[in-house]
Amino acid sequence: MKPATNPLDRRDAWLGVMLIAPSVLIFCAVIVYPLVSAIYLSLFSIYTPTLQGNFVGLSNYAELLAGGEFWHSLANTLIWTVCTLTLQVVLGIAAALMLHQAIIFRSLARSLILFPYFVSTVVAVLVWRWLFNDLYGILNHLMIWAGLLNMPLDWLGSMPNAMVSIVLVGAWKYFPFVVIAVLARLQTIPDNLYEAATIDGAGAWGRFWDVTLPQLKDVLLVVVLLRAIWDFKEFDLIYLMTGGGPLIATQTLPLMVYKEAFGMDAMGRATAVAVAMMFVMLVFMLLYLRQAKQDAAK
Amino acid sequence: MSAAEVTFCKVRKAFGNAVAVRELDLAIGAGEFVSLLGPSGCGKTTSLRMLAGLEFPTSGTISIGGRVVNDVAPGKRDVAMVFQSYALYPHMTVGENIAYPLKKQGMARGEREAQVKRIAAMLKLEALLDRKPRQLSGGQQQRVALGRALVRSPKVFLLDEPLSNLDAKLRAHMRAELIELHRQLGRTFVYVTHDQLEAMTMSDRIAVMEGGELRQFAPPREVYDRPANLFVASFIGTPPMNIVHGEFNGRVFRHPAITVPFQVAGAPTRVALGVRPEDVLLGAGPFRATVRVVEPTGHETIVMLEAEGAALTARAPAESHLRPGEIVPFALRADRLHLFDATTELRLEARATEEISA
Repeated sequence: MKPATNPLDRRDAWLGVMLIAPSVLIFCAVIVYPLVSAIYLSLFSIYTPTLQGNFVGLSNYAELLAGGEFWHSLANTLIWTVCTLTLQVVLGIAAALMLHQAIIFRSLARSLILFPYFVSTVVAVLVWRWLFNDLYGILNHLMIWAGLLNMPLDWLGSMPNAMVSIVLVGAWKYFPFVVIAVLARLQTIPDNLYEAATIDGAGAWGRFWDVTLPQLKDVLLVVVLLRAIWDFKEFDLIYLMTGGGPLIATQTLPLMVYKEAFGMDAMGRATAVAVAMMFVMLVFMLLYLRQAKQDAAK
Repeated sequence: MSAAEVTFCKVRKAFGNAVAVRELDLAIGAGEFVSLLGPSGCGKTTSLRMLAGLEFPTSGTISIGGRVVNDVAPGKRDVAMVFQSYALYPHMTVGENIAYPLKKQGMARGEREAQVKRIAAMLKLEALLDRKPRQLSGGQQQRVALGRALVRSPKVFLLDEPLSNLDAKLRAHMRAELIELHRQLGRTFVYVTHDQLEAMTMSDRIAVMEGGELRQFAPPREVYDRPANLFVASFIGTPPMNIVHGEFNGRVFRHPAITVPFQVAGAPTRVALGVRPEDVLLGAGPFRATVRVVEPTGHETIVMLEAEGAALTARAPAESHLRPGEIVPFALRADRLHLFDATTELRLEARATEEISA
């Protein structure tokens, strides 16, 4: 850009700065400041109720990486994210394909399918906990009635049932997001492509693999990116379902942050976990985006 | 592995209450190049799509090579189609696009590659085989679409306005290539177009359609020289044929400005006279008209005239110096006049008696 020499240009430039200033200030206040202060706090040993403590350098991190709980929680987070995300995408595409067909009550079905996404997590989890309840839950009742089980099963208090349960509820809660995105894309795929494939001899599966899926690739890239971030940092659903239990069997990193900060009153260690979590996410995102870029270039 | 004849027998297609095609009877010979020509909404594309198997006839039968294909899946009809939008698979390379139908037939990779090479050489696509469709120009995409159709050596080629997205120069070029391709392959071509120039230049026979009905099915020359009815007469030819409504007393066609004696058996009173613009001869003759508009096009001049309420268009030599408002004498070429029944709109086999009109 040329330097603004005449008064009119200078006034325009000034106006530009004024217009973006509010966004920049808000961005600094809610993103930059917490990030910097989290990194800062993670270098201290801090007692949460008083927020007093002394500088300990990197020893919070050393303790974290040496202990087993962090690694266990990280593994849990990865298992939870990969499993629930896979289910969300598969279910989401299947539901979107179904809703794309001319079925009866299509518009009604389209709005109903969004219901799990819009219902409050607390409400949804309370209902699911009742369904999963080992003594009164309808799930055990139905499975015993159908002859699949002899005795009631402890769905949320034993492993691997607890992990399976949260993965399923997570998939149920968040697959509508995939449906919305995929359905919107499906409607823009030209019919001609399907017709050409039909004449070229492709059956229903062939058309799905060779026309639909390649066309969905771009939107799935974005959906997986967003959902992976959101699932990775999911707190309320898991906390309310199992509280991370039994013991720490379903404890993911966000739950560990919470436990360190408000259960163990160790704000320094908690922020260290949070910062570590951010780095893990960052590494995965960079790898993912690089892979996506390579695919696009091919 | 040869050409096949295509037959539509009493084919009807309705979408709800809207009838797209009514009672279509059409017999296309093996190896013939037939154009389905008509204005939009005439049912030509629907007919082609029924032949491809993308639409199902409401009633009637369609056969390819003597076999009724109503219940045969599109992929098993041994037809290939070129779409107006080309419909290339965007994520596949040119080579993969062309190989796709073979892959779906279960052909082995090595054989597939040999076939793709053969087609690419034929359509001059060798240098583009590794490109994606979006990296190609419109004309190149058109070739790839043709290649994908050619590679299977189908019995029948279906082409749905394949040239309408190309610019004028490329279109003329591709017309010539399609004619050549048809000659080389000897397969049956069914070509849908609204462009009469394409239909006239490429076809062995033209099926002119209007409102879901077949109006005439004849070679281009005959469609032009002996239109079967008023619709075909006014649809074919640019500028279109002049139609002058008048009365016939058994011997002479009468209009306030024009009278022509005809020899015709059993003609009604209300008739229409058809004259092509090139058969209106300006400068001398028994009739008078006022010049309204003069349009020089370079190699000729189109003159619009008015004669006692009848609008006439004439082709004049480029060097004619007519001015709007001028009154010119004109004659009609007696051996090239057409007479139609104004009620049924059908052609009357009439012959103008020369001496009076010239």
